[in-house]
Amino acid sequence: MKYHLQSLSCALTFFMSVFIVLPLQADKVTLDSSSWGSAEGQACVDCHSKSSAGLTHQWKNSAHALANVNCLDCHQAYQEDVDAIEHEGSIIATIVSPKDCGRCHETEYQQQKGSVHSKALTIIQNRMPALSEHFGSPSINDAGCAKCHGSSVKVRGDGTLDPASWPNSGIGRINPDGSLGSCSSCHGRHQFSKAQAREPAACTYCHSGPDSPDKEVYESSKHGMMYESHKERMNMDSDQWTAGKDYSATATCVSCHMGAAGNMKSTHDVGMRDAWNLNASVSTQQYLIIFEDGDKRELSTSEPLPRRGESISKMDGSMGKVKAVASPQRRRDAMSKTCLECHSKGFTNNAMAQFDNVVELFNEKYARPAQAIMQELYSAGLLTPLPFDEPLEITYWNLWHSSGTLARHGAAMGSPSMTWKGISEVGSSFYGKFISQVREAAGQDKGEALIKKHITSSKHHDWLNHPNKANPILGFGQGKVDND
Amino acid sequence: MIKLPLPAFITRHVLFALLIGGISGIGFILFLIEFDHYTSSEEFCTSCHSMELVAEPYRESAHYKPVSGVQASCGDCHVSEGVLSATWDHFIGGKDLLKQIKGALIGPDYDDPVVNALHLPEAAFAARKWFKDRNSATCKRCHNQAAIYGSRPDTLQIHLQDAKQKSCIECHYNIVHRSVPDEKTFKRAAWNEMIETEFGLEKGSAQKILAESR
Repeated sequence: MKYHLQSLSCALTFFMSVFIVLPLQADKVTLDSSSWGSAEGQACVDCHSKSSAGLTHQWKNSAHALANVNCLDCHQAYQEDVDAIEHEGSIIATIVSPKDCGRCHETEYQQQKGSVHSKALTIIQNRMPALSEHFGSPSINDAGCAKCHGSSVKVRGDGTLDPASWPNSGIGRINPDGSLGSCSSCHGRHQFSKAQAREPAACTYCHSGPDSPDKEVYESSKHGMMYESHKERMNMDSDQWTAGKDYSATATCVSCHMGAAGNMKSTHDVGMRDAWNLNASVSTQQYLIIFEDGDKRELSTSEPLPRRGESISKMDGSMGKVKAVASPQRRRDAMSKTCLECHSKGFTNNAMAQFDNVVELFNEKYARPAQAIMQELYSAGLLTPLPFDEPLEITYWNLWHSSGTLARHGAAMGSPSMTWKGISEVGSSFYGKFISQVREAAGQDKGEALIKKHITSSKHHDWLNHPNKANPILGFGQGKVDND
Repeated sequence: MIKLPLPAFITRHVLFALLIGGISGIGFILFLIEFDHYTSSEEFCTSCHSMELVAEPYRESAHYKPVSGVQASCGDCHVSEGVLSATWDHFIGGKDLLKQIKGALIGPDYDDPVVNALHLPEAAFAARKWFKDRNSATCKRCHNQAAIYGSRPDTLQIHLQDAKQKSCIECHYNIVHRSVPDEKTFKRAAWNEMIETEFGLEKGSAQKILAESR
């Protein structure tokens, strides 16, 4: 019976996920054109051509201007809106939220709404201060973290926007109207160019550096190398941008994570095609749960697979009814569709297998033993619950969050140098710092016991058990390879 | 010697009366001028603590700390030009003095910073209406719309073209005193919450204070 239920849910997952990997086409705006081109908005243009000529110039070169969409069409607000202000006789809002953009760009809004991008702040809001405020201060949070993750925009009682939370165009911004995200994260205002958002730079503005080293990875990948040489052949300005049809010189971030390929449509749910969670202490493959209200969440495959109609918690903590589940394999299949426009199935599957092997190696060799040791130290009260007040915690954090992420992302996107850089950093921290800091935190005996239990007894670290095995790599013991 | 014949009713008493009346009249006008002048000063206005609270942001503003040294005092903006209009404005403004006195005796006490801040929006709306009704006349004592060169290249053009039909206050509010949203987008609950946070008051207490003071 249990077996039948499992196969039933697998079949269900398969059926549902067909809908997920084939979302609606990135639509042309269907709203009637009488709904925009506000006459009042023309006055904004006249004055702003003088007061902020650059901004207006950008808009004048945009598809919006071409379609007669002016300032007020996007910035109009209702008197009762939380952030509504009076400005030269019009009621407007400074912030144009995804919900506002969704008045015309409905499909993109619906896709973006449930995406992990839109929850870039919601899911780490409680955790973020432990790093940003212990290592920095709230001002570092405002000027650093929140610039990518998004701020929770506060409208003050006097109608002004709290300067700590605005300006901000972070991708998970919590807007005054309750909507999540910011379209201008990727589509720089006020030109909102499609071509610009297809550039890797639109992503690497945030996806670079230790937490998300994708700029470094992409630039040192074959795709990045080809992009450097052939950008002008990428047809970035094309209306439709289907891999293999409108361009083929290389793949950018957008090509694989969002782009159209073959019969697969493009999507504004950027994380949809990710089979793994690569930004966790231990990576797991993940289901994509779609709720009845259109919201979505990731769920690790280590958790029980929820059934259709079951209530589970959403990313914001509220409960939602499951409408469909996409398996990691279906998500991988979607991602692979772009690969298949240029690569064979065998090539694609083998590249994915090489990637999976690195993730699994990281998990088994470093992540799980380190996590188990940390867990035991916390349980025994040998580490305080406060994060980052002990050197071991900082080493552990860098192990998976920085170095481990570099290795995993390097493998995911085919950067040999970053895969190695990441793993060699992981190894250096693990053998050079982590082990000795475990001894310090736990004391010699308890420390040795933990190291034996979780590290030296494992085949991955067996080499540590042979201290007399010489090798000339460090410049010593040349010619004398001693097999203890 | 030419002797002008005076009408019979101009007696010596009448002459005295005219003389005394004339001098008194001149004296009265001079008094009004001086009175208006003194009662328009920052010193007089802020002799009430409630006005001192309002003056704090003013003292940080460009009207108090100008680049040029041309400083505007309370009355320069809030009292009309001309002795009759100025006297009338002071007469009408006297209601604020009555409220102040009533407040000190039976409340609401506008000298209390919380009460003051809670009532500020209505005061701001009234002041803006006053400016608008007079076509921003007091602004124009110093500012000439045709000579606003500004620091940006097109500031003059904006004032000559886009703002041609407008008077100053329609665009330039919240430049001297504490910022208050326009009446159309003002949200009392949000304002109260801000004041509660600012003064460390319990949630909902602003509403109570307002109810007590109305």
